[in-house]
Amino acid sequence: MDTWSLLLDGFATALQPIYLLYALLGVLLGTAVGVLPGIGPAMTVALLLPITYALEPTAAFIVFAGIYYGGMYGGSTTSILLNTPGESASIVTALEGNKMARAGRGAAALATAAIGSFVAGTIATVLLTLLAPTVARFAVSLGPSDYFALMVIAFLTVGALLGDSAWRGMVSLSIGLFIGLIGVDTLTGQTRFTLGIPQLGDGIDVVLVAVGLFALGEALYVGSRLRGGELPIIPITRGWRTWMRRSDWARSWKPWLRGAAIGFPIGSIPAGGADVATFLSYASERSLAKPEYRKQFGKGAIEGVAGPEAANNAAAAGVLVPLLTLGIPTSATAAIILSAFQTYGIAPGPRLFETQPVLVWALIASLFIGNAMLLVLNLPLVGMWVKLLQIPRPYLYAGILVFAGLGAYAANFTTFDIGVLLVLGVLGFFMRRLGFPVAPLVVGAILGPMAEEQLRKAMQISQGDPAYLVHSPFSWIAYGLMVVIIALSLWLKRRRARYEASLPAVDTVAISALDEDIESHEPHPELDRGRLSTTALPRVRRDGEDDDPDDPAPSR
Amino acid sequence: MSTAPADAASQAASARARAARIEAMVFVGLLVVLSVAVLIATTTIREPPGSTGTLGARVVPYVVGGLLLLSSLAVLIQQLRGHFGASEAGEDVDLEHGTSWGSTGIVVLAFLSLIITIPWLGWPLGVVVLFTGASLALGAKRWWVSALIGLGLGAVTQFLFGTLLGLSMPVTGTLTSWIGL
Repeated sequence: MDTWSLLLDGFATALQPIYLLYALLGVLLGTAVGVLPGIGPAMTVALLLPITYALEPTAAFIVFAGIYYGGMYGGSTTSILLNTPGESASIVTALEGNKMARAGRGAAALATAAIGSFVAGTIATVLLTLLAPTVARFAVSLGPSDYFALMVIAFLTVGALLGDSAWRGMVSLSIGLFIGLIGVDTLTGQTRFTLGIPQLGDGIDVVLVAVGLFALGEALYVGSRLRGGELPIIPITRGWRTWMRRSDWARSWKPWLRGAAIGFPIGSIPAGGADVATFLSYASERSLAKPEYRKQFGKGAIEGVAGPEAANNAAAAGVLVPLLTLGIPTSATAAIILSAFQTYGIAPGPRLFETQPVLVWALIASLFIGNAMLLVLNLPLVGMWVKLLQIPRPYLYAGILVFAGLGAYAANFTTFDIGVLLVLGVLGFFMRRLGFPVAPLVVGAILGPMAEEQLRKAMQISQGDPAYLVHSPFSWIAYGLMVVIIALSLWLKRRRARYEASLPAVDTVAISALDEDIESHEPHPELDRGRLSTTALPRVRRDGEDDDPDDPAPSR
Repeated sequence: MSTAPADAASQAASARARAARIEAMVFVGLLVVLSVAVLIATTTIREPPGSTGTLGARVVPYVVGGLLLLSSLAVLIQQLRGHFGASEAGEDVDLEHGTSWGSTGIVVLAFLSLIITIPWLGWPLGVVVLFTGASLALGAKRWWVSALIGLGLGAVTQFLFGTLLGLSMPVTGTLTSWIGL
């Protein structure tokens, strides 16, 4: 059967009412927790791993797919509307989106983010559909040494690129690899690093690693430095139909497409994930923008929201290509989804498309369905999601602790795991305090045992000759590409850090002055002015030197 | 007059920065100790005889221990030269003020209480203890609101995961088995 008929079969499965309900549940949960500050998609999937103990695989992965995409949508809402210092400078979407919101254009920023996510997510899912079976067919011919090469790439890129400094990432990665070593060695039956504790014989469950580092570690860390008082949420105007002006559409659609084109390939190679993709998209939008719009960058340019948001979602779909076809996770969330596959005894990889066609194609079809649901859920209902931002923080983080405890206990139904979880949580707590990235640890703990297995298989084939590891052209290309990717990404990261450091603080009045200035050149400024999306715009011309609101050309 | 509070504030800030530096050095020092311990422990992993030509159980642990030692030494050197890591930022994280160790400790204890409460009181009541303790430590005002939310959360998770999804969550424990559920 060809790809399309398989995909149609997938839709036939995923459109069954019960699976549609699971998809809806997934996107609702994903958006909700994506909106909640402090909870990312990795933490959500980690917290919801217990459902894999009870649901059948197809249902569980449809839920995870919804959470995965939903978390991306929800996250942009938070970064645009939540006006907190520190965080807003770290993500490029927030950079422009937050400033747009502060100038009263939050609705447009939210709309371009949501529609861009939908457009790019759909394009990227189509690419995933087309590409994945081909990659899987090719990957069947890969041997253990090739797999080992791919895993080394995943380790080193994740370790070197996720975080501020490459060495700190490597520390995190090697702690993760060490955690993966604990337990009985499958090949020789020897116990390693169990300290004589029988419960450690089976190793530390990856659920505990994920929940401990993401959920418990994060809750402890935030709890230790909880911001007091009300969080300043930027209000948005009502009436979602009128959020985007015609000029907003005109300025957004090209960045959406470019963002999808940048995000998907970067997501599908292990190159530091969505971070790199969003910044590349941001940088290219800035250099491609017309001169009169370019000076708006750093002060709330809509292209700077549309492009990176699209790139972010396309990268999220791209991550699924190596995960499903090779079984190699390139982000923490993907690593946790991989461990969910392992709970079911399903090994993602080239044979997945042959052995589990129903599951895989239902999963891919549910990505399309979930994406469409998310657009509907996010545009009109954003007001509802914003209310989630007002949950009192003590209850929010105490609730996260409850679910962390549930996840730990339900893994094996022993209270011993609660203790293990606490140890890992405290480790995650100190890593966050001292500037060590957490994601490489999780990837190392999950992928490490698989890499050791492939390495030892390769050594068995070669009778112990290490040269076998680099005998195939594929492994040469792989290791060569790894060097290029790491060098390029490190350079990009440095550029990004320099750019963000060079941004001056801009006050709202200056942003809206520029906004009005640009709008005055648009062919239809008076149509939307004041009445629709810009009602909250501070009218500089009224408070400022020029008192005439009908003056079409401001003084700049 | 007006400089005195500012002086005190900057003094407090520099004391915090000093404490953070010490903490970072201790953490990385512990990592170096851990990596040496991993390398030493690896020598005691038993290698069954007669497996020549294949990779034994020790090789990968040696590599991992070496990588941990190398990277933590590199971070140690970075820190000696004054490059410290920045604490993770977040929407709810206040980096300008100090750490409230007291409430963090209570949260840890509240979580640890699950070890006792799950077998003795069952899951729903264990959640009440955890939720109430943690939310009060994090700044919730009224204990009975916390306890009520905790009870609701415990009952809902028990129903969802225990009854609907069929996970064997204990409804009651050894102390509460007289409750007929």
